[in-house]
Amino acid sequence: MHEEVAAYVLGVLDEDENEAFERHLDTCTACQAELKRLVEVPDLLDELKHLPSASEDDRSR
Amino acid sequence: MLLHLDRTFESADAEAEHRIAELYREFGGPLLRHIRRSTGNDLQWAEDVVQETLVRAWRNSARLQWEPGLIWAWLLTVARRIVIDGRRRRSVRPMEVEAPEIDVLAVPDGAERSLSAIVVADALRSLTEEHREVIEQTYLRDRTISEAAEILGIPPGTVKSRLYYGIRALREVLRDKGVAG
Repeated sequence: MHEEVAAYVLGVLDEDENEAFERHLDTCTACQAELKRLVEVPDLLDELKHLPSASEDDRSR
Repeated sequence: MLLHLDRTFESADAEAEHRIAELYREFGGPLLRHIRRSTGNDLQWAEDVVQETLVRAWRNSARLQWEPGLIWAWLLTVARRIVIDGRRRRSVRPMEVEAPEIDVLAVPDGAERSLSAIVVADALRSLTEEHREVIEQTYLRDRTISEAAEILGIPPGTVKSRLYYGIRALREVLRDKGVAG
């Protein structure tokens, strides 16, 4: 179950797996700590997903 | 009797509304700023995501007793999932006309690529093939574990496990490069 924290933080678990993991998260302090450590990784990966970024609008006055 | 029940519901509703309004005050602004980036600056969509996130937070209010850093990490994760679900629904894509397998890493480092995008692409390239592959086939293409497992021809458990070690490795590299905390 612990390894699912990465899939959870990325939002790629199926609906029921996602719910099951959240229930696990309620009591697992190791996964809670891991979630905090990993939470910024998907944001950084988003740099690769959204090339027309929000800053695009800022530049076009 | 019925009237009494109505009142009970009304007060419960009022209390819920009050609590959700409180959550808005506490997390609404930061969440909106954060989510706008992942909705391609679509403000209306971002506002809907904030609302849905805070309603879920209210429904799972026990989690709001966590320490602030953990609450924030959880809210961001809930919001991200809502954005991804929305993106999947919007891009109604039948299997036959699957988006071409563009190589996200092969996009030329043109002017439109931010510095951090280049750093992240480099970090991803430095991972092992197995780790990079599962990150690309899940998150970067908005696919679930099961979908990626089918495409890669490996068990879902293996995808999850590789994703775990891959994401941890990626975070380490990004931290060494100074872009992750």
